[in-house]
Amino acid sequence: MTRHVVITGMGIISPVGKHPTEFFDNLMAGRSGIKHLQNDFIERLSISIGAPVEDFDPTAYFSKMQLSSIERFSQFALVAAEQAVQDARLELGEAEYARAGVCMGSCMGGIGTIEEGYVELFQHNKSRVKPLTVLLSMNNAAASQISIKYHLQGANMTYATACSSSAIAIGEAYRQIRHGYADVMLAGGSEAMLALGPMKAWEALRTLAQEDPSDAGASCKPFSKDRSGLVLGEGAAVLVLEDAERALKRGANIYAELAGYDCSSDSTHITKPDAAGQVRTMLNALREARLQPQDIHYINAHGTATLAGDIEETKAIRQVFGAYADNTPVSSTKSMHGHLMGATGAVEFMAAVLALQHNAVPPTINLQHPDPECDLDYVPNQGRTGLKLDAVMSNSFAFGGSNAVLIAKRFKV
Amino acid sequence: MSSLQTIQDLMVKQFDLKPEALTPDATLESLGLDSLSVIEFTFNLEDELKITMPEERIELKTLQDVVNLVDKLIAEQKNTAQ
Repeated sequence: MTRHVVITGMGIISPVGKHPTEFFDNLMAGRSGIKHLQNDFIERLSISIGAPVEDFDPTAYFSKMQLSSIERFSQFALVAAEQAVQDARLELGEAEYARAGVCMGSCMGGIGTIEEGYVELFQHNKSRVKPLTVLLSMNNAAASQISIKYHLQGANMTYATACSSSAIAIGEAYRQIRHGYADVMLAGGSEAMLALGPMKAWEALRTLAQEDPSDAGASCKPFSKDRSGLVLGEGAAVLVLEDAERALKRGANIYAELAGYDCSSDSTHITKPDAAGQVRTMLNALREARLQPQDIHYINAHGTATLAGDIEETKAIRQVFGAYADNTPVSSTKSMHGHLMGATGAVEFMAAVLALQHNAVPPTINLQHPDPECDLDYVPNQGRTGLKLDAVMSNSFAFGGSNAVLIAKRFKV
Repeated sequence: MSSLQTIQDLMVKQFDLKPEALTPDATLESLGLDSLSVIEFTFNLEDELKITMPEERIELKTLQDVVNLVDKLIAEQKNTAQ
């Protein structure tokens, strides 16, 4: 038995908005959340830009007692989950707890807490670290906190597939419902890695964007000839996925149907993306959604703004979409919200679902110098409204070769 | 300052508890502290009072239990220091 899976709630804490409406408005307006960071370690970085979540006051959401056991990445996740649950007007009866679960993605979990511990041990020569270090920092803390808060007794799973972590979390949650293991799933991702250690590690890999000398906010330039890499960000996005019948029965507001998903591995190189794997993943997701390439009216690209990545994804989209490639808008919203790593797939899928809902496509900003090797319609610099979108695709192609593609379409009974 | 006062102050600071609730016979559970909060709290007490908690877990039920343990450790570890 396969069932239909619909999206009935959304929540987000991101560098460009702390609510789905604010998030999408900012994307449409082409506002960047990327900036010169103000952290106290900033002088130790060669590249000191990032996409932080600013003005996030955890004490507005949690008591001091709760905060001692809830790390920043779990705080983001819980706040996004609460928004999504409220948005969906989700209520679970006791008999339903075991039929509800959670899937989250994260790359580095509570890395900030681990770093604090290392500073104590190696720099201050202390003999002990905070007693809750393990519980704060473990990668599955965010999903587990969500499970505890909402009594989700079905699957509680955390995926760590680098940049595709939360796309895979959403896809696997969808499969839980589609194949009858659950009726309701909270799914998304969260990341809080703007700490010195991880930032230095990314710096060393030489994949981070150089700061734009005239405007830090314009540093991430996907598909532009002068692109120089990605910008690290933080935040969380969580969606409520629900069996369509359950959602219809309770009269829930349905944003879209999550109609297709596929995940695969390039199995070629640890960083270099491979169009063949990306093509396979897009085709499988289309097949599962029972859609043709021309049915997809917007693609939220992985679009990291690395030299190789943008060209490879362009090639892959051309291969899958053939003659329709030129008529399909493709944008990289990473140009505005940065790369949220384990949260980025969920953030971008949410952007695609909101695009579907509003019949509007957010732009790729900072695209001033077209690259002849990147020749699709990237919606340069200006969002488009008044469109008619029936289905959208979100691509996530990770370091390590883990690909994930999600397709949402307008829900029809 | 007695160790009771220090413990009360730290509880207010760390957990935002109301000072009037922190009577010696109050159970830690009734104050909302679970086993993890207690571990976190004793960790901070070590810093505050320059003591070292024993490796083994000690059953702490009430605020008075914490005071007794802390006073015992202060006495013992002062002697060791001399």
